[in-house]
Amino acid sequence: MTEVNTSVNTDRNAGGKGMALEVDNISKSFPGVKALQNVSFRAEPGKVLALLGENGAGKSTLLKVLSGDIKPDEGEVRIGGVPQKFDAPVQAIQAGISVIYQERQLVPSMSVLENIYCGDLPATKAGFLKKKEMRQTAERIIQEFGLEIDPFEKLGRLSTAHQQMVEIMKAYRRDSQIIAFDEPTASLTDKEVTILFDLIQRLKEQGKIILYVSHRLAEIFQITDEIVVLKDGRMVKQLKTAETNEAELIKAMVGRDIGDTYSSLKRNDKMGDVLLEVNNLTTDAVHDVSFKLRRGEIVGFAGLVGAGRTEVVRAIFGADPIISGEVILDGEKVNFKHPKDAIDAGIALCPEDRKEQGLIRFRSVQDNVCLPVFKKMRKGLILDRKKQEALTEKAVEKYSIRTPTFEKLVVELSGGNQQKVILGRWTSELLTTKLLILDEPTKGIDVGTKAEIYQILCDLAREGKGVIFISSELPEVINIADTIIVMHNGHITGTLAREDATEEKVMSLAMLD
Amino acid sequence: MQTTSKAQKFLKSKTFILLILLAMEVVVFTVLSQGLYINIINIRNILNSIVITAFLTVGAVLLMVRGYVDISASAVGCFTTMMVASLLAAGIPWPLAIIFCLLASAVVGCVNAILITKCGFQPFIVTMAMAQVLKGLQYIIFGTNPIAIKDPTMVALGTHRIAGLIPYTLILALICIAIYGFILSKTYFGKSIYMIGGNPQAANLAGLNPKRMAYILFINDSALAGLAGCLLAFRLKSGALDSITNGQFTGMTGAILGGVSFGGGTGGMFGAFIGMLVISAFKTGLTLLAVPAWWMTFGSGALLLFALAFDHFASFRRTKS
Repeated sequence: MTEVNTSVNTDRNAGGKGMALEVDNISKSFPGVKALQNVSFRAEPGKVLALLGENGAGKSTLLKVLSGDIKPDEGEVRIGGVPQKFDAPVQAIQAGISVIYQERQLVPSMSVLENIYCGDLPATKAGFLKKKEMRQTAERIIQEFGLEIDPFEKLGRLSTAHQQMVEIMKAYRRDSQIIAFDEPTASLTDKEVTILFDLIQRLKEQGKIILYVSHRLAEIFQITDEIVVLKDGRMVKQLKTAETNEAELIKAMVGRDIGDTYSSLKRNDKMGDVLLEVNNLTTDAVHDVSFKLRRGEIVGFAGLVGAGRTEVVRAIFGADPIISGEVILDGEKVNFKHPKDAIDAGIALCPEDRKEQGLIRFRSVQDNVCLPVFKKMRKGLILDRKKQEALTEKAVEKYSIRTPTFEKLVVELSGGNQQKVILGRWTSELLTTKLLILDEPTKGIDVGTKAEIYQILCDLAREGKGVIFISSELPEVINIADTIIVMHNGHITGTLAREDATEEKVMSLAMLD
Repeated sequence: MQTTSKAQKFLKSKTFILLILLAMEVVVFTVLSQGLYINIINIRNILNSIVITAFLTVGAVLLMVRGYVDISASAVGCFTTMMVASLLAAGIPWPLAIIFCLLASAVVGCVNAILITKCGFQPFIVTMAMAQVLKGLQYIIFGTNPIAIKDPTMVALGTHRIAGLIPYTLILALICIAIYGFILSKTYFGKSIYMIGGNPQAANLAGLNPKRMAYILFINDSALAGLAGCLLAFRLKSGALDSITNGQFTGMTGAILGGVSFGGGTGGMFGAFIGMLVISAFKTGLTLLAVPAWWMTFGSGALLLFALAFDHFASFRRTKS
């Protein structure tokens, strides 16, 4: 029998102590988006380096490059001056890089112990697990972390925060020289945050390189030494934490050319009466949300990913249950049990995730446009093909959707055209849509089509419809919406009129601690 | 707006490939069997063998377009062969006996749907367990001895043929395929199955009701299997055990061959029907050539693998483009 080698070799071209990490000129494109453009920076051993930027600035892509999840189109990563090539995550681990993602990479059905050793179980030559060694190491690590966790407990039974700590233990156990944290405190309590920060301090003293991604500025000032600011996939600057302040950082994160896109929009200038009133809405994910929307008004929701914006509109739409509070549409109290009820009452939702929630990808453009109104196209027993074609034709013309035929599978269209198919679906004459909710409608869409979608939103407002516009891109939300509602952690933290809204103001409300 | 003509589309479809395959089978088996394959007796055998499979195929196609699978259909069928025979033996008039069988089958489908929609269990696991429950129940309730059916009307329905060739039950099966094919391709209900099968989340957010659909489809599938069981009992003139299992897999294999994807949202009744014919013709061909039984088992298994690989590469190409 050949020798079973299950352990990760941490010596082979591993980043040794005292070696710097250099990211040199990294670029990465996805269809329609340049996620990273010529990003370069240097991280020194024994230092904590923050990666800061808005949603979509390229932080996650950068971490994925470092963890070997994706290959950059250009540029290279060097450890101690040695270029690294990662074809798979395991090679990044061998090189001494551990990335701790927000979404935990753990196995809930296995024990804490097994998770700490996941991918690297120590075995004897005969292939038996070295259980004793595993237990001792795990117990030592748990003790060093100062937590009360039973190493034999099933991971799935731990609290979210403790699971997060187990993820960190995994990297700690590997003795990685470079550890990247992706928003590690998002699900931790204050006490656990203190433990984490102590730990980071200790890792730092051991001469490790720490990369720290967070939206929370206060934390960044508390534990980091240097900050790299990213914006739209480019590196803005690298600065010393001690030599900067919040205002400068926010400006670096958001300051960019807005251009003429917004000033050339034909906007709605007359508002009607109140169309939608939400009072003290509370669900699993949001608390005490109240706002009003008039006919012809565009209300924008700003905030960070996970702030609860999507959850608010899903609850209004009848897709998620409401715990308390009321929704008043057109002066009538409503409580939709199913999206169908909301649609019948004149609400439409273009969901956040086009691919997973919006489109039926392997069906035709026509099927996707007609989806909510098939019922109204019955002629006797059968569905009227002519009506379907006529409706699709109108949508295609109205929004100049580029598709060779109506039979084309919607998955084969570009992101912008897919979004227009969804817009066409909800604005057909067979529906009496009064309120249109658009959740991140411009995500992954090119600049030109974005401008078209902005005008479509304004046109809908001009027709007297109400529009709720959720976006994580600050410039568009503060320039398109008449009223901007900012959410943080399931609460509304501020409401601004367009005239008063600046990116800085919105950002500080969104990042409120 | 240009659209590809229907004829062009058909020539590119899987169904067309299958028709060629079917024709090839007929030629090859006819030659190998020195003409026996197109002998009247063999054709009667083939026609007989597809009746039960046809009913099971119909239900399976609807479920698979939705993205579900029901392993318990054959067990439901076995159960009702015994149930209908013992009800008739107890002197219950045939219309009532059939209705009771259909109701019992529908209950099974309903339980499947509850477990899948309310508890979120995997359809495969739920229906596999249900199949075993039913198999056991069948022995517990009806014992192991075949129960003879003497009702003249039902025996006639099961055994008589038009012009000595086409069984009455085949006519029923063809009508069933035609009706369901029409529902699937032309009606609002059929369109809803495709939409929900294509993306249940998106369909739900667009006002369709995936949960209700699950109930309808599972109840429908079980009821069709129950009906198939009754018809089989009438043909065999008795309730017999374990006579239907092959039909279900032939039906599912045929559906996959015919372009119904396991992932849901694609395929149609006609293609599935042709696919089912391809497999039935294959099996009867091997029987006729006196190929040993294990080769037939091997052959059907290999065909299913071939169908899955075919489906995989077809959808692989689809995602790539």
